[in-house]
Amino acid sequence: MTPSVASSDGDGGRTGSAPLLRADSLHKHYGPVHAVRGVAFDLEGNTYVTLLGPSGCGKTTILRMIGGFESVSDGTLELDGASLIDVPPNKRPINTVFQNYALFPHMTVVENVGFGLAYSTADRATAERVTEKALDLVQMREMADRRPRQLSGGQQQRVALARAIVNEPQLLLLDEPLSALDRRMRKDMQIELKDLQRRLGMTFLHVTHDQEEAFALSDWIIVMNDGRIEQQGAPTEIYRRPANAYVADFIGGANRIGGRVVELADGHAVIDTPIGRFRAPCAETLGADQGAILCLRPEQLEVAADGAIEVAVTHVIFRGSDWLVEARARDDSILNFHAAGNDAPTIGDQVRIGFAASQAWVAADG
Amino acid sequence: MERTTIGAWLSVPIFAAVLAVCVAPLAILFAFSFFQVDFVAIVREPTLRNYWTIAGSETYRGLIGSAFFSGFLVACITAIVGHPLGFYIAKRVKTAKSAFLILLLVPLYTGDLVRIFAWRVVLGNEGALNRFLLWTGVIDTPIEALLFSPLATHIVLVYNYLPFMVLGLWLAYESLDDGLLEAARDLGAGKASGFRRVTFPLTIPGLIAGGMMVFVMVVGDYLTPQLVGGASGVTIISAVNDLFGTAFDWPLGSAIAWTMLAILGLFFAAAAIAISRTNWARALAAGE
Repeated sequence: MTPSVASSDGDGGRTGSAPLLRADSLHKHYGPVHAVRGVAFDLEGNTYVTLLGPSGCGKTTILRMIGGFESVSDGTLELDGASLIDVPPNKRPINTVFQNYALFPHMTVVENVGFGLAYSTADRATAERVTEKALDLVQMREMADRRPRQLSGGQQQRVALARAIVNEPQLLLLDEPLSALDRRMRKDMQIELKDLQRRLGMTFLHVTHDQEEAFALSDWIIVMNDGRIEQQGAPTEIYRRPANAYVADFIGGANRIGGRVVELADGHAVIDTPIGRFRAPCAETLGADQGAILCLRPEQLEVAADGAIEVAVTHVIFRGSDWLVEARARDDSILNFHAAGNDAPTIGDQVRIGFAASQAWVAADG
Repeated sequence: MERTTIGAWLSVPIFAAVLAVCVAPLAILFAFSFFQVDFVAIVREPTLRNYWTIAGSETYRGLIGSAFFSGFLVACITAIVGHPLGFYIAKRVKTAKSAFLILLLVPLYTGDLVRIFAWRVVLGNEGALNRFLLWTGVIDTPIEALLFSPLATHIVLVYNYLPFMVLGLWLAYESLDDGLLEAARDLGAGKASGFRRVTFPLTIPGLIAGGMMVFVMVVGDYLTPQLVGGASGVTIISAVNDLFGTAFDWPLGSAIAWTMLAILGLFFAAAAIAISRTNWARALAAGE
């Protein structure tokens, strides 16, 4: 696993002038625990960026370092070219939507939203106008005189959002903001968040462990694991060209068939696997004669009489538009694939499945 | 239905005990406060004369006033000292929290007298504090006012009752969500502003709980003023003590006790009404 390569790989895809926020070789130690291990990334203006990773991967710690609630153990953290390291949270033009919203229980909705304006240069009339505008933006004008405890989770979320944007921060941090909402509400809020980001033209940095959420929202995704960045890039790139087995698995649950690279030429690798030898596009960083995986997305596999892989169907799950089939190959590896609505196999069937190698992807194992 | 009736009957002994132990003595005092003393006999003819005596006496009025003033003053000082202490124990102490709490409470395990005499050792003419000040050269002659003065009384009162205030505030700080302070900082509040707008309002329940305890106990404390207050050591409570003991004027003593109780009651009622009218109290009451 080579995180430095992954991050420089990511930077390659981006253009433009100086970044809004730059993090470089960022470290965080909690006593003996090394929570963030040399992370580097840039955030551009007016983009929706997601820090994606499992719990405990250090993504929230990074967010808290940017917000100013955790000290930086080592490395650089710059906003608009100026270091943030010694700037207290109240002096950073950065606001946060906290995971549990952290609304002030002794204040009404309108008092909560207006809280930060006391520290701006705005006069009273302007402050009132800005507060009302923010409440309108999140459709909470009618609830202005309620208390946080009288609101539903979704409504609290909106208030937290309105409160965080009244001071027009250069960067808005969102710490798993949707995790407390039910599924339906989460979908609605995803659309609203994305919409809000576009309308405000701010940069949103959103922390989540939910890859679906990351795909729904982001212009740019930073995939983290164990304190390091595994890969960063546009959602399509992360999905189609995962840098390694970890990303391939974490994003969309790709089927991974372990093997060995036997040949490398112009962006393609020939990989030797238990189910055969295939030639597929590969990551630039891949070396010849190293352990690698062949990534096959469930939607890339299909039942075919001349398919390369013979499997026994173990589970069939109806998904409305199609079926998700789980099957066991002869080497006992489990493969998932989609089957069209009218010709789903049944459990116990022996079927052959095939794929177009040009659509597959070879990534480093690890 | 049957069960409820039995339950109601079963609670009778408890009510009886409460009545006998808590209410009856006060009721007896209340009745006594309307009687008179004729030499050494108590005349059981209801009269308001005792209350008139109190209202007409500058001494009693002054003593009652200064008792409440002391209570208020000590409550304020313990609040100011208690806030950082409560904050520190709740939010900063991670490992040995119980050790801190024990340290806070240990003085309470020793008797009042022990603590008060300990302060006489510290504050006296030959006491540790005077010696230290002499040694450092800050003063040339011992400060006599350190002991046997209102200053000494209030120092010891603050010391004696501080733990109660800290306990109240500590609990309030324990239940205060750190995220709220972070949110305040995030939105631009400096430390002082965050305290004023978020921490202070949300720890007021603890402040009230601690403040009431301290207030009531200071008003009723007469050992401390007597032992370290010197000439200023006469309090309304010691006056009641004298009336019941040496003067054998139980009715007047009872009347003073009941006057104090009534003023305390009024005070708390007024405080409760004032508090319930504030924004944050309604917010807190609306929740949970």
